[in-house]
Amino acid sequence: MPLKALSQLALVFAQGTGQSLARLDAVDILVIAIYFGIVIFIGFYLKGSSNTSEEFFMAGREMTAWIAGLSFVSANLGSLELMGWAGAAYQYGILATHWYWIGAIPAMLFLGIVMMPFYYISKTHSVPGYLHLRYGDATRALSAISFAFMTVLMSGINMYSMALVMKVVLGWNLNFSIWVSSITVALYVALGGLRSAIFNEVLQFILIWVGAAIVPILGLIEVGGWTNLRAQILHNLGRADYVHLWSTLGHFSSNPMGVHWTGIVFGLGFVISFGYWTTDFLVVQRVLSADNIRSARMAPIIGAAFKMAVPFIVILPGLLALSVLPFHLVGESQAVANHLHSYNEVLPLMLVRYCGPGLLGLGVTALIAGFMSGMAGNVSAFSTVWTYDLYGAFLNKKATDRHYVAMGRWSTFVGVLVSVGTAYLVQHAASIMDYVQQLFSFFIAPLFGTVILGMLWTRATKQGGFWGLLSGTLTSIGLWGWVRADHAALRYVALSPDAKDMAENIYRALWSWIVCVIVTVVVSLLTRPRPVAELAGLVYGASPIPKEHDDHWYQKPIVWASIVFIVFLALNIAFW
Amino acid sequence: MRATMSIWFFAGIMLLAYGVVILAAGLWELSHPLAHPPALSQLHAPIWWGALLAISGGFYTVKFWPRR
Repeated sequence: MPLKALSQLALVFAQGTGQSLARLDAVDILVIAIYFGIVIFIGFYLKGSSNTSEEFFMAGREMTAWIAGLSFVSANLGSLELMGWAGAAYQYGILATHWYWIGAIPAMLFLGIVMMPFYYISKTHSVPGYLHLRYGDATRALSAISFAFMTVLMSGINMYSMALVMKVVLGWNLNFSIWVSSITVALYVALGGLRSAIFNEVLQFILIWVGAAIVPILGLIEVGGWTNLRAQILHNLGRADYVHLWSTLGHFSSNPMGVHWTGIVFGLGFVISFGYWTTDFLVVQRVLSADNIRSARMAPIIGAAFKMAVPFIVILPGLLALSVLPFHLVGESQAVANHLHSYNEVLPLMLVRYCGPGLLGLGVTALIAGFMSGMAGNVSAFSTVWTYDLYGAFLNKKATDRHYVAMGRWSTFVGVLVSVGTAYLVQHAASIMDYVQQLFSFFIAPLFGTVILGMLWTRATKQGGFWGLLSGTLTSIGLWGWVRADHAALRYVALSPDAKDMAENIYRALWSWIVCVIVTVVVSLLTRPRPVAELAGLVYGASPIPKEHDDHWYQKPIVWASIVFIVFLALNIAFW
Repeated sequence: MRATMSIWFFAGIMLLAYGVVILAAGLWELSHPLAHPPALSQLHAPIWWGALLAISGGFYTVKFWPRR
């Protein structure tokens, strides 16, 4: 009876006193226990491979294109990403898919084809590290501080949202979920460094698929296929705009999201997407671990191919819920006030609908894996930026390599502890979750302006980079504050009084990027440029890109990027 | 010591373990029907999904088995 004893032991620790939607069986607990056993084993197994700073922070730069690519996309697939976008699909319909397709694919391909050679040949350890080489210490410090601050906060918010869903759906105690999962992540990242984080992210990506894919498969069988699903949504909601990607974006008020196509294309598809996928160190770090420049270029392309498929396990369950759930989901505040289920619970609700013992455990493990891959991405990136770009750059420049590795291990634990603190802070002030997500967008959009000008324009100067980044960030914060102080300002910031929160975020990012670029260009033209010879390896036109010597045409990254882009176009047309 | 076990070996072991556990749970349900079965339980998803995981996991486990 060891299985039963295991189950009872876990339930004693985990379950609170509240009502839950589902109850895990012994076999479900076994499935979850297997997962925790594997990830901790990997941490201990790889400890011996993480002795130098290059091994601990950059995984020895030994990852193949497939491993770096899967890790690249998995680090982004956190619990907020999984459950939040499934909820958004229920709330806004298929429009949520834009965040996976136009909001990711072009930027990922651009990273692989255009930007990766410069990141890779500069041999930088981080994005703030690249800014140091290109613009100097002030820009590096500004970028590193904002990144480190926002990373641990986001990690805490991810943690809280995960624990909240586990409490609502399974009745698990919040403290249990927060501490068990965060201690596990801290253990395997601190032991094995980035290599351990990447190994686990690849496993977590596979697990997310095998755990979550059963929902859309059974859901499509139940509703009778995609055509019937569209018809049922139309019948249930009485509106067709939930199942069209582009045809309803001609006006702000003609779609559930209150957004115009210009916002989706330029704000989301260009500024937010390129900002996140090409300059957010959380994801870029995975690609920097590649074993050669060809792998570094192929990794984002492989990641893009898998990213295109993610709506199948995230967006489709949200749409299926519109058809098959016998009750309506509501917003978070209304759900709490009236004891109803919120949009964010749609994925667990669908798991419970289709999965019995075993499969339910696998689905819950997929959600836990999503949370842990997102958190490991955050803490490993935080640890690297703290150690290289703040501690090593400004506080202790001459320490030994061994000292920096020890600092990396300790800062992993500190990052996790701060994240846990944030999770408890959010518990008492739910609106902080919204604010911090907006804060995160404050830094990403202008950072893209600074990095892209630095990579493509030899004339950009140290002063231009710093003042451009600072003014872009302040513009974003200022516009956010303006709308909070006077809601009528929405007509100027988001170009329409009908704009919803997401549309406002998109346009605010666009304005902050434009201000960053204008200020960088103007200040650069007024200040003395660096000699072009000093920019070798950092800027297009000043750097010879190493030849990759592909034996066959089908080994060329541009060929695969073109194939992915054609599929991306075909999908957008198919769901127009 | 350098890592000698491939990531794909770990993936294989994980899928194989999950496949066996879920397939066994599905077979158990055949003789012990659930009091509150999920939607579409007549399709016996744990059996075919568990078998699929076990087969793919077994393939990766054998193909990437650590060798000296």
